Amino acid sequence: MATRTVEHTVPSEVQLGPVDPKDNNMRSHDFHEREKKLVQAFRHPPRALNPFLITERHDEKQLCISSRNLHITDFALLKTLGTGTFARVWLARLKDQPDRTKVYALKILRKADVIKLKQVEHVRNERKSLAAIVDHPFITTLIASFSDEQSLYMLLDFCPGGEIFTYLRRQRRFDEETSRIYAAEITMTIEFLHDVHGIAYRDLKPENILLDADGHIKLVDFGFAKQVDNRETYTLCGTPEYLAPEVIHNSGHGLAVDWWALGILIYEFLVGQPPFWDQNPMRIYEQIVEGHLRFPPNMPPAAQNIVTLLCKTNPSERLGHISGGSTRVKSHPFFTGIAWDDLFYRRVKGPIIPRVSHPADAGNFEDYPDSDTRNQNIYTDDLKKKYEPLFKDF
Amino acid sequence: MAESSLPGSTPFINTSSKNDKSHNIQKISEDEEFEVTSPTDMTFRQANSGDNRGNALFGGSAFSEGGSQTAGGSLFGRGSPFGVGGAESGPGHPDDDEPGALPPGPAGQGLPNNYALGRRTSVSAESLNPTSAGTEGWTPPHHPKTEDQLARLKTAVSSNFLFSHLDDDQFKTVLDALVEKPIPAKDIKVISQGDAGDYFYIVEKGSFDIYIHSSGSVQPGPDGLGNKVSSTGPGGSFGELALMYNAPRAATVISTEAKSTLWALDRITFRRILMDSAFQRRRMYEAFLEEVPLLLSLKPYERSKIADALDTIKYPAEATIITEGDPGDAFYLLESGEAEAFKNGASVKTYSRGDYFGELALLDDKPRAASIVTKTDVKVARLGRDGFKRLLGPVEDIMRRADYQKAPNS
Repeated sequence: MATRTVEHTVPSEVQLGPVDPKDNNMRSHDFHEREKKLVQAFRHPPRALNPFLITERHDEKQLCISSRNLHITDFALLKTLGTGTFARVWLARLKDQPDRTKVYALKILRKADVIKLKQVEHVRNERKSLAAIVDHPFITTLIASFSDEQSLYMLLDFCPGGEIFTYLRRQRRFDEETSRIYAAEITMTIEFLHDVHGIAYRDLKPENILLDADGHIKLVDFGFAKQVDNRETYTLCGTPEYLAPEVIHNSGHGLAVDWWALGILIYEFLVGQPPFWDQNPMRIYEQIVEGHLRFPPNMPPAAQNIVTLLCKTNPSERLGHISGGSTRVKSHPFFTGIAWDDLFYRRVKGPIIPRVSHPADAGNFEDYPDSDTRNQNIYTDDLKKKYEPLFKDF
Repeated sequence: MAESSLPGSTPFINTSSKNDKSHNIQKISEDEEFEVTSPTDMTFRQANSGDNRGNALFGGSAFSEGGSQTAGGSLFGRGSPFGVGGAESGPGHPDDDEPGALPPGPAGQGLPNNYALGRRTSVSAESLNPTSAGTEGWTPPHHPKTEDQLARLKTAVSSNFLFSHLDDDQFKTVLDALVEKPIPAKDIKVISQGDAGDYFYIVEKGSFDIYIHSSGSVQPGPDGLGNKVSSTGPGGSFGELALMYNAPRAATVISTEAKSTLWALDRITFRRILMDSAFQRRRMYEAFLEEVPLLLSLKPYERSKIADALDTIKYPAEATIITEGDPGDAFYLLESGEAEAFKNGASVKTYSRGDYFGELALLDDKPRAASIVTKTDVKVARLGRDGFKRLLGPVEDIMRRADYQKAPNS
């Protein structure tokens, strides 16, 4: 696009193109230093470009290098920001970075755990999905990935506001305006993932939505994201309360699962709990496939209506998936008054402004216990022989 | 990616047997109680507006399984810090607590990582892929059963939503895939609390006791099984969550007599049967739709959407699917069997697999030009005009699009 303004995130002296490790003219030390510079040069928040321009910027993309030289020992791990069954996300800083406020989120996945939990395909999809997305205002940025003998690493931008989950539980529920604005930002994010990349996110929930310092959202954890385009896929994944009926029935699911989850999310924002819940997960699933929604009487009618339309058990009837797509979601009366462009270009602040005292402040994140290293799975030679090629993208 | 399960509940156990519906009835009444204390209820709003610390915010047993021990009955009970303890000490939200100060819960029982604290864990099953996983050539296991056995199995799973949703063919395939598992002696642990879950079981013969240990997994020592919470006999079933994904078992199940028999079904077989039949049906419908001239200008993804929206309907022989003169509202694909078109009582055409009729109804509700009567048992895939319009917009627009695209060539 001739008209776009080019303001590179990365200073020109480090714009040396992708690093070719086979280039013998440069010693590996130089590569190492250069990659660290690339990482250091990353600034956030990135500029908000029109999503349809963003896709045209692939040639400019310096971020998301698949590094052969970065090493975990380059980083100081400061605090755990989150844990999963086989991953842990750290607040991290480059050790030789003089600016102590320049920090990242470093996601560490142990190869043996990934294999044992049969998540190899998902981890590959995660890297691939994030690598495809170039600085979208509401999506976490993958700056670099690397690996060593035991683990895979994804270096991501740090979002200091913490999880929207924390604010939601603390406030018990969000007022209409807060719910509407965050739902609008999520809607634009889903629209972008679907329409531009054909990516189904598949794990929408308040735990995976962070707030930045201005109170805008940042979608993180692309562990289940997959480029499905308009085909269907079959692997069950997600979070029990947010699973769409077609995922439970294994009848094939696609992009429409994210619109279902948006309905659940709006409900949880406004009511403080998801619509389908039971102590016993099987009873949750039974309720989901029945799809009988109950609303508190004081829930605004437009909100009840959009949740009803998004949570249609039959994807062929579901708002977002039916004709008109995301445009119809955005024009629903629930979103009346939303200034879509102002949100997208961050011309306004978000409804919840996190307390962030400095750019490296991790006080908005919960404390996590140290990982239990006693029973760690070992990445054996046999596993390595079988799986190492699958991790080569990192 | 396993979901932790809560001690003190009997999550995945259906103890109802074929002659004993009392458990189900109790469940129904508990469900009604759920209605009463549901989010739409007065108490719900009051609870939400006031200080509800130390109170069972969402109603003691309101959100828990009927008949089970309610471990807190809390909204966020499952695997969360809010879920420990009885209803009295129960939870509510940490309204003024910083999240970091949340009390440590029964985090990650039986899980490799301590992880819970009110946040919900993602779940995931094995990767299933119809194109690359060698599905071609895969046939579901077939373990022959007597008519009596089949009838008993049908009854045993009839109330289970995972099975009640299946069509006849899928249901038959699933029943055929159940494998007999003899339990030769007393005191055999069929499943152990906290272990990985792979199989769903239906009791054919014998009886089994169900134990739950409050720690979330079997412990060493004489009381390591925890408390006996229930027992089950012929027609009962347990372990159904294993049909979804690999979650730690929520209970231990032990045989109480020699020579018991179970039927077992593993997750991958079950989900693969569902996937294969859905996959084949989609591809078949897409192929059929390609042959319909009216829909020629559909893009492949639009055709997939339509294929996904088709409803399967079965007719016996000599049934009338559409009647001449009636306003048309739907389009049909003939999936199996034969049908015949009649105009003024005279046969004008026969239809077989892959043929379609009534497609003009997608355009408007003009009267049907002919009646379609089945000659054999017939399966059709139906798409209403409203359904089409809802998915892709008016069919006229799509046809117009085709004209426009053709224009430069003509």
